[in-house]
Amino acid sequence: MMTLVLNRLIISVPVLFGVLLLGFGLLILVPGDPAIVMAGPMATPEVVAAIRTEMGLDEPVLTQFFRYLGRMAEGDLGRSLISNKTVISELGAAIGPTTELMVACLIWSIPLGIALGTLAAVWRGSITDRAIMAFSVAGVSLPIFFICLMLIHFVGVQWRLLPFIGRGGPLWTIDGLRHIALPALSLGLIFIGPVARMTRSSVLEVLRLDHVRTARAKGLSETRVILRHGLRNALIPVVTLVGLQAGYLLGGAVVTESIFSYPGIGRLAVGAILSSDFPLAQGAILILALAFILINLIVDVLYALLDPRVQTS
Amino acid sequence: MSIAEPVDLDALAPSLPWWRRLVRDPAAFLALIVLTIIVLCAIFAPLISPHDPYASSRAVMQPPVWSDRGAWLHPFGTDGQGRDILSRIFYGTRLTLLIGLVSVGLGGVLGSLLGLLAAFRPRLDPWVMRLVDVMLSFPAILLGLALVAVFGPGAIPVMIALAIATVPDCARIARSIAVSVMKQEYIEAGRAVGLSDLALFTRYLLRNCISSILIFISLRFGQIILIGAALSFLGLGAKPPQAELGMMAAQGRDFLLFAPHIAVIPSVMIFVIVLAANVLGDALRDVLDPRLRS
Repeated sequence: MMTLVLNRLIISVPVLFGVLLLGFGLLILVPGDPAIVMAGPMATPEVVAAIRTEMGLDEPVLTQFFRYLGRMAEGDLGRSLISNKTVISELGAAIGPTTELMVACLIWSIPLGIALGTLAAVWRGSITDRAIMAFSVAGVSLPIFFICLMLIHFVGVQWRLLPFIGRGGPLWTIDGLRHIALPALSLGLIFIGPVARMTRSSVLEVLRLDHVRTARAKGLSETRVILRHGLRNALIPVVTLVGLQAGYLLGGAVVTESIFSYPGIGRLAVGAILSSDFPLAQGAILILALAFILINLIVDVLYALLDPRVQTS
Repeated sequence: MSIAEPVDLDALAPSLPWWRRLVRDPAAFLALIVLTIIVLCAIFAPLISPHDPYASSRAVMQPPVWSDRGAWLHPFGTDGQGRDILSRIFYGTRLTLLIGLVSVGLGGVLGSLLGLLAAFRPRLDPWVMRLVDVMLSFPAILLGLALVAVFGPGAIPVMIALAIATVPDCARIARSIAVSVMKQEYIEAGRAVGLSDLALFTRYLLRNCISSILIFISLRFGQIILIGAALSFLGLGAKPPQAELGMMAAQGRDFLLFAPHIAVIPSVMIFVIVLAANVLGDALRDVLDPRLRS
């Protein structure tokens, strides 16, 4: 087990390096003087000059890169050009809400997707199966902003059931729950489809295996066979799906947060890009990339925990 | 309860050409027709648009023809600036499809070449695969955000980002297909008769892999369109006055209460394009290359 985690961590090193290189590359690639970009168009020449020395822009690129790595290690990502707060504090304030949104989305969409996928597999070829599969194809084809807009229009504006702007507070408060409901519903709706599809094909595969036949032959009830012997083994690939679809989910979160003005990292990134707040945009993109790596790392470890075969191979 | 597989007779009838088997599937057939019509509308947008898609008029927020106050002058109504939505849909579909096609095309070609090379020259394989692993850790949306942060909003940075995002997946699939092709005897035979590497690569390897790769790319097309439209919706993609479906939906956002059609029509259009592409991609895979299932 430990070797697996270690191995996985070692593989993450070049990826992490790639992420840092990306962050550095962003700055090098930006048209114009990086010092002016970092300082913002309003900065005085003195400030620009100070930033230039701090970043070592007159020195060779390699030296600049090591300086950049040093600043990253200290958590120094610069200051936001708009709010003048440090990028790290802005990101710190947005990580919590984004994590809450992810949790609130996954907590209902994964169980529902698994239930739908299992039903579709058990009643393979029936109307239910077809309806569930049609629903899941439609779900992955719907633009997420459309789902958000429709929920705002009907649930928020016309029926006045739930608030649709901002965050109400932590997840465990009533107001927090009411505010997160619509964003989590939108994000979950695009995630049910992939989960249901994956569960269906995985359950179908497991139901063909010998141990399921044995369980049936023992005279276990069909429900028991499916739940204890079928679904339990079929769930393993569903765990990897979360890792595989993390990028998809992240994209959905960026759109959802922006539409619902939900103060997470996604909205922070889009807002920073649109207002040319380069340091903040760079920090937000780096944090999102790190989150993506972390999710995949956790999923890989979970996968090994659930499936002993992975550890031995 | 039986879990016996229903036998799909069509799939067992290889005597039929693949396109005949494809059109026997009603959903796939419908998707094919819908997609053909949409592509034709996009190509001939300048000829069939009833109005100038960029010209505003005083007739703002006119409802579409199927609502009470609608008129045939503007079948889909007009937007917040009085521009004809039907004409903008034609032009917007054009740009949306173009963004998808260019990204998937560029990324697909690059990714397939990488994957095929890795299989063709096993010495390159570990390097190519490490590169692919690193690229895989940047989801499309992040690449999009990063490129837009650097170059500013626009259709071109979005296309480049989506193309780069297509490369690693495509390289992986191409490699796995090509590795099995490389084990075939005809490759050995080609070598034995003294074919040059180039001829072996293009005439033997590429030709035998191309259809599976194309199917994979067609399955990615819908997703790429959705990400491109989402970026444009956020104001990071196509720039006004260009018409792009995602951006049109964003422009309708402020009028949702009084004129929902401004946002709904372009969104539904994206949905139809992506749904048709997904259904068709699934059917193509089932007919041409069931190996790619899973």
